[in-house]
Amino acid sequence: MSDPSVPPAGGAPTSARGPGGSIYDLGYQAYTGPRLGRRSAVVALFTQTLRSSFGIGRGGRAKIAPFTLAALAILPAVLAVGFASLAAQAGAGGSLSDASPIRYETYSGLVGVLIMLFCAAQAPELFGRDQRYGVLPLYFSRVLTRSDYAVAKIGGLMAALFLVVVVPYVVLFVGRVLVAPDPVTGLTNELGQVPRFTLQALLVAGLLGGLASLIAAWTPRRAYATAAIIAVFIIPPIIVAIVGSLTNQDLARAIVLFSPGDVLDGSNAAIFGSIPDSQVVAALDLAGWVYVGAVAVEIAASVGLTVRRYLRIAA
Amino acid sequence: MTLIALHELTKRYPRGVTALDGLTLDLEPGIIGLVGANGAGKSTLIKILLGLLPPTSGKASVMDLDVRTMGTTIRQFVGYMPEYDCLPPDSSATDFVTHMARMSGLPSASARERTAEVLRHVGLYEERYRAMGGYSTGMKQRVKLAQALVHGPRLLLLDEPTNGLDPAGRDEMLALVRRTGTEFGIAVMVASHLLGEIERVCDFLVAIDAGRLLRAAPLGSFTERTGVLAVEVEEGEASLAAALTARGLHAVADGRTVLLPVTEDAQYDIVRDAVADLSLRLVRIQPRRQSLEDLFRDEVAATPVAASPSSTADRPVPPAGGDGVA
Repeated sequence: MSDPSVPPAGGAPTSARGPGGSIYDLGYQAYTGPRLGRRSAVVALFTQTLRSSFGIGRGGRAKIAPFTLAALAILPAVLAVGFASLAAQAGAGGSLSDASPIRYETYSGLVGVLIMLFCAAQAPELFGRDQRYGVLPLYFSRVLTRSDYAVAKIGGLMAALFLVVVVPYVVLFVGRVLVAPDPVTGLTNELGQVPRFTLQALLVAGLLGGLASLIAAWTPRRAYATAAIIAVFIIPPIIVAIVGSLTNQDLARAIVLFSPGDVLDGSNAAIFGSIPDSQVVAALDLAGWVYVGAVAVEIAASVGLTVRRYLRIAA
Repeated sequence: MTLIALHELTKRYPRGVTALDGLTLDLEPGIIGLVGANGAGKSTLIKILLGLLPPTSGKASVMDLDVRTMGTTIRQFVGYMPEYDCLPPDSSATDFVTHMARMSGLPSASARERTAEVLRHVGLYEERYRAMGGYSTGMKQRVKLAQALVHGPRLLLLDEPTNGLDPAGRDEMLALVRRTGTEFGIAVMVASHLLGEIERVCDFLVAIDAGRLLRAAPLGSFTERTGVLAVEVEEGEASLAAALTARGLHAVADGRTVLLPVTEDAQYDIVRDAVADLSLRLVRIQPRRQSLEDLFRDEVAATPVAASPSSTADRPVPPAGGDGVA
């Protein structure tokens, strides 16, 4: 800067003419373009997290697990619609039969394990990678704040989960409308289900995404995080079942609210007005709104604790 | 504009370690060397300037913006190259630097353009599409510099940019830092524990030890000429010293060099003639500068300036007061 022989920043281009043409040395150009600031950075991180939840932008092998699990989650819906349309063509029935095991109210229970595996496979990568490789200081020394980072990451994972959960519902919905003898009647009949399955998909994506984020943010080692996420979904229902059968139901009623799979089973039953899949949950006979409320509180708590983790992490 | 202003800046870590102790300092734009032994508080200072760490007490501002309240604005115009590894091995340099540009708020198209430009600037070409896990340390350091530059910062904070590099890689990185500071017209603060490196890159030097300011001054004043001429010959330094003394100069042999005070240009001719008359093989005639190392020692222990080895390259900062702190 004090050296007079050096051209100023973004200095005039110089060129050298050779026999075969010209070589232009444009020098270094100072960046004068737009700076969109914090909001743009948060949106970009959210989008990048959503994409890499499916392995997009991360090479072929990273796509295997998420796309396989997402495909498996859609498969029952596609099969149900396929069989119903075959049955309709054969004149055996006008709509997706209510006797079918694949219905809105059964879907959450049907694919719950797949969503949990999706979390266990993807969340450790989304959250652990930046910690393992020391990338966090590079984020935190930019325009986004620590909580921006955490919220964008959690939001990206939840959005990915929401897609995986809601798309099968949409397939079922479209299928049922199209297979109905009269699409207009079909639409009016089915439209009432849209807010229900949207709400249940939000609760599933929020709770599983929130818990997986919290665990993965605290467990940079990938294998441990995966194991911990699976354990959080598998072990509590067993404890609830044991407590429910051995001791009083009140204790089991308290514990069940901390069992992610069971509260989502309860919220699903409340939202669709059906009977819980789990006999243990059904036997506890809690009011439906308690489950929905518990899920909402747990989503808020998991997001809050994950943000807190990033506010305190050394970087 | 004051680039960096510190007032009684203090940082204490929870376990009672004081990393910075009442640092008061005003710095103008330029290439600033931040020098001190390991643990002197260099990284802590950089992290406070970035708003990554809150100061315990005192004030710090960057480009007249308070680090406590204006962190987001500051970080928009500051680039940071951390000391340690910070690159995910499964990403390519292009993808990673583009992502980091987006994280600084650049639009997608600008992020990609700027990435291509800075990677070219730091000297990364075909390999920028490969996963960074396979990069050499030198290439990784270049990517780290590129990500600090990609959003067009006005101030670059580089924490030990030559960490882990071999001598050739170190030279290249230092040249790159120097070029970045001069060509781009952006301010650079380079933290290093190696005085020899800082000396080659900076205009201004800040020396800290145990969180306290030792000295902040232009590099020139650290290495003022002492008025002593060093004449190095392959052999025969004793006879040269004798010959020079015989011609009225106060010459002293010191190892392979002969040291003599010079006050006028004619004395250079006397030296030349004396060497020619004795048929000695002359290696160099050089005005002796105070080495940074000596100044450091003087600042700390107030020992008198002595004739000293001229090379300070790659020698660590001597510990304060000569008590062997590593």
